[in-house]
Amino acid sequence: MNQLNNAFTLFLSLLVEAIPFLLLGVVLSGLLQFFVDERRLLSLMPKNSLLGALVGSCIGFLFPVCECGNVPVARRLLMQGAPVPVAIGFLLAAPTINPIVFWATWTAFRGQPEVVLYRIGFSLFIATTIGWVFGTQKDVRPLLQPALASVLSYRTQTSGGRGSGASTILQSGTYFLGQSAKPLITDPSELQAAMVATAAKPTSYRLRLLLDNTVQEMRELGSVLIIGSAIAAIIQVFVPRDVILSLGQSPVTSILAMMLLAAVVSICSTVDSFFALSFASTFTSGALVAFLVFGPMIDLKAVGLMLSIFKPKAIFYLFLLAGLLTFLLTLFLNLYIS
Amino acid sequence: MARLSFRSFLPWLDVLAIAAWGIVLLKFWLTGQLFLLIHPNYNWLTIAAAFTLLLVSGLKAFFIWRASQRLGRQSSPPMQHVSLFPPGWGSALMLGMAIAGLVFTPQAFASQTALDRGLTDTLTSTRVNPQAFRSSTRSEDKNLIDWIRSLQVYPEPDAYTGQKAKVQGFVVYPPNLSEQYFLLTRFVITCCAADVYPISLPVKLAGGDSKTGLPAANRQTYAADSWVEVEGQMITETLDGRRQLTIQATALKPVPTPKNPYDY
Repeated sequence: MNQLNNAFTLFLSLLVEAIPFLLLGVVLSGLLQFFVDERRLLSLMPKNSLLGALVGSCIGFLFPVCECGNVPVARRLLMQGAPVPVAIGFLLAAPTINPIVFWATWTAFRGQPEVVLYRIGFSLFIATTIGWVFGTQKDVRPLLQPALASVLSYRTQTSGGRGSGASTILQSGTYFLGQSAKPLITDPSELQAAMVATAAKPTSYRLRLLLDNTVQEMRELGSVLIIGSAIAAIIQVFVPRDVILSLGQSPVTSILAMMLLAAVVSICSTVDSFFALSFASTFTSGALVAFLVFGPMIDLKAVGLMLSIFKPKAIFYLFLLAGLLTFLLTLFLNLYIS
Repeated sequence: MARLSFRSFLPWLDVLAIAAWGIVLLKFWLTGQLFLLIHPNYNWLTIAAAFTLLLVSGLKAFFIWRASQRLGRQSSPPMQHVSLFPPGWGSALMLGMAIAGLVFTPQAFASQTALDRGLTDTLTSTRVNPQAFRSSTRSEDKNLIDWIRSLQVYPEPDAYTGQKAKVQGFVVYPPNLSEQYFLLTRFVITCCAADVYPISLPVKLAGGDSKTGLPAANRQTYAADSWVEVEGQMITETLDGRRQLTIQATALKPVPTPKNPYDY
């Protein structure tokens, strides 16, 4: 009974600490999409694939979204003609390389600031590398879902014109108004896409969209957060300490265990550092960094969303590359640095 | 028909779930239970989030109400979205947990957690490095965390021999120490209850020593988890194969559990 009480206290404390950051992330990512003109941004992107991947990894600073919000943004970037390295770099790095995640990670790991630095450095490195690797594939269409690939083909046929608003998918805002018989808005992220398409709509309409977006995201991400916090609390209270210690103190198994946990728990990147914090005393710091780097890139929830962009084969490559790089970098950290 | 009413109820479920979390956060703040959950530095974040959640749910409620007024029963088609959970599931989960949070009173961790979290592994370390080293303070003004930080900077226990100590904490009886000792313990919090970790100093009870005049103390005298104030002198003892700074108790009195049991 006492154990149960401890577990629930722990669970609530994770939620109470994480909800403000989740809310901030949701509201800010909704707001900023009013102000950032993606097309103008894209015209500034470098053509070189390494540089493009690096810049793409860093534009998360303009869109502070976690891994649920970045997929639709990456999809829009691709559709609007972003070079592949830019889009991949953004897809992998944006959930980590953004001010709210920095703040949350700093809040959680005040006592171990090196964790924050490794998280940022490794994420940037991995995202840039993978973006660069994907940049060698000149024609990206075989990797994409047919619907998206055909939009790109259409764009190429019309001599690479900007095609602003010409494709049907880009006009989701119109459908959102309910003029179509069947509402086409299929998920909260589509709603975000609609918000961008409404730049010309009156402010009150945009504010209502912002409100709806906030409510939907809080519901979706809030439920994932609740499940994730429950898992963390249960593991911490009910799994015997020597089991966790024997797993968490070895340089190799600790990393593998945390990467597996990251992929399964699917907790949002704005709040995952609080989850990791509950393992801080028992797991190697390499394992904590692995969780914080790998989780935002690949997890069950994100894979579901990524299927709206890529074919399974491409996701498998992403998964493999991200997993291997995370493992090698954090193993190096465990063996030679900390 | 039943399906229709379930659908029209869904937006209200969102409103309820979000409002409920706003209320839960406010409740923790107003009842002072927030101290048990997170570091006070972040209280303002939680409070701001509580008001924002209430505002969001209020606005959403207003718009749903207005839409239903305007269109009567033919309210605008509910937005379809394929999401992680079946419709209503996410909000129901949030609402359920919020209600559980309203009913439940968080509890400060006690000796069992202290032992689980490795009280005996790391007797003398704090994770946050000392911000300021207050060597000039009188030794009996130091609290438990000050002592631990002093030890971290200068770990030789003999250096403190004979200094007076007066510290508060709760009683933990680790399995590896004899009847004569207990660990005076406090939890330190850096962010939230997920990372609270115990710090402690061993206290040597008089053990029927005629010189000190204290009665023979044993585990029955001071219950585990009870809060005590220990006065005494620092000595060095070899416990569990390690030389450790220990308080030789000269006076022990029970104190009430503080409202905020954690230290920073």
